[in-house]
Amino acid sequence: MKPFRWICVVFLLALPLTAQGEYKTLDELTKAYSVDKCKSCHGTVHKEWEASYHSQSVVHSLGGIRNFIVVGVGKEYDEPMSKEHLLRCMGCHAPQIKDASESLAKEIASLIITAKDAKSRSKKNAAKKKLAKLNVNCIICHNTMIKVAKNVRGDPRPGVFYGPKGGKSSAHKTEKTTEISRSVFCGQCHGIYTPPDGDTIGCNTLYGSYQDAYRGNGGTETCQACHMGKKKRGHTFPGAYQVGIVKEGIGLDVQAMGIKLHPGKWIPTAIVDIGLTNKAGHRIPDG
Amino acid sequence: MGRKEYWEIGLDLDGEHRMGAWQIKEILDLTLPPRKTTTERFITELPKGTKSAEVEVKVTYKPAKTVTLNVHRIVKKLTF
Repeated sequence: MKPFRWICVVFLLALPLTAQGEYKTLDELTKAYSVDKCKSCHGTVHKEWEASYHSQSVVHSLGGIRNFIVVGVGKEYDEPMSKEHLLRCMGCHAPQIKDASESLAKEIASLIITAKDAKSRSKKNAAKKKLAKLNVNCIICHNTMIKVAKNVRGDPRPGVFYGPKGGKSSAHKTEKTTEISRSVFCGQCHGIYTPPDGDTIGCNTLYGSYQDAYRGNGGTETCQACHMGKKKRGHTFPGAYQVGIVKEGIGLDVQAMGIKLHPGKWIPTAIVDIGLTNKAGHRIPDG
Repeated sequence: MGRKEYWEIGLDLDGEHRMGAWQIKEILDLTLPPRKTTTERFITELPKGTKSAEVEVKVTYKPAKTVTLNVHRIVKKLTF
C-alpha cells in the first residue's frame, strides 16, 4: 500500500496546478487556482506577493471593471453580460476566469456590481471577500501567462511551473524559461489589450511607451529589473502607489534666482527653472 | 505662483476625452517621456520692495483621484 499512498500524495499536490476546464462555482475555480500550498516552500515570495497589487488585481480595480459591465456592456454595447465581455477586463485582472462556465462568469460580474453598488455595507463586503480570491497569482504568472511564447514553444503545460531558474522541486514540475524575465511578459497586461474580436482596450498603455520611447531611445533595462530585481523588491512589484519607486523614477533639479526687472521700476522677480527627469522605463504617469 | 500637470488623455474615435478603458482608442501623451528631462520656467513678479522670498517646488503624483504622493520638495531662498 505504501507506494500507492505516495502516488496519491503527489497527485493531490499536482492537482491545483493542472487547473483547466470549466468550473461552475467560484469555490471550485478559486480552489483550482489556489496558491495556499505555494507558501509552504516559497513563504517569503508568497508574503511579498500578498503585499502586492497583483494579489488585489480585482478588488483594487472594482470601479473600472464595474463601469465596463454597467456602462460599457449594459448601456453602450446594449448587450447582455457574457464571459467573453467579462474577459475583456479579466483576461488580465483574473485570467483564471477563462476556465469559468458562462454562468459563473455572469455570477462574478454580478458580484462586482454588488461590491460597488450595494447599499448594504455587509453585502458589499461579502461580495468583496469572494472576489478577493480572484487575482494574478503564482499560477497565473508561472503557468497561464507563459502563453506569450505559445506560437514558438506551445501552450504552457498543465502542472508545470515556469521560472527563470527552473530549479527542481518535489512538489511540482518546473521548467526554465526566458520569457518570464522579458518585458514583453509584463506587456501582455501592462499594455493595450486586444481581445480576440479585434477590439482595443486602452486600460493600460505603458508597454507601448516602454517599447517606443524608452527602448526607442536607448533604454535597456527590463520591467523586472526595476520592479523586482533592484533593491530586492522581489514579488512585491512596487509601482505607482509606492512613493519610493516613484521618487526613483522622477529626478528634480531646481535653479532659482532673484533679480530686479524693468530699469527704474526695479520689480523684484523670481526666475525659477525646473527640470524633471523621467528615469523610469516608460512615460510618467502611466500604469 | 505656477503649476504644471503632466498626464495622458484617453480619446475615443470622435476625439472626445474618455475615462473608460473600453472607450479609449487613442491617447494624447502629455506625460513626462522616459530618458528625457522636461524643463519648465516660471517668472513671477513680486511686490515692489520685497527683499527676500522663499521658493518652494513640490512634485506630487496622483495615481488615483483620491491618492496623492508627495514625491519631491525643494525650498530655495531668494534675495533681491
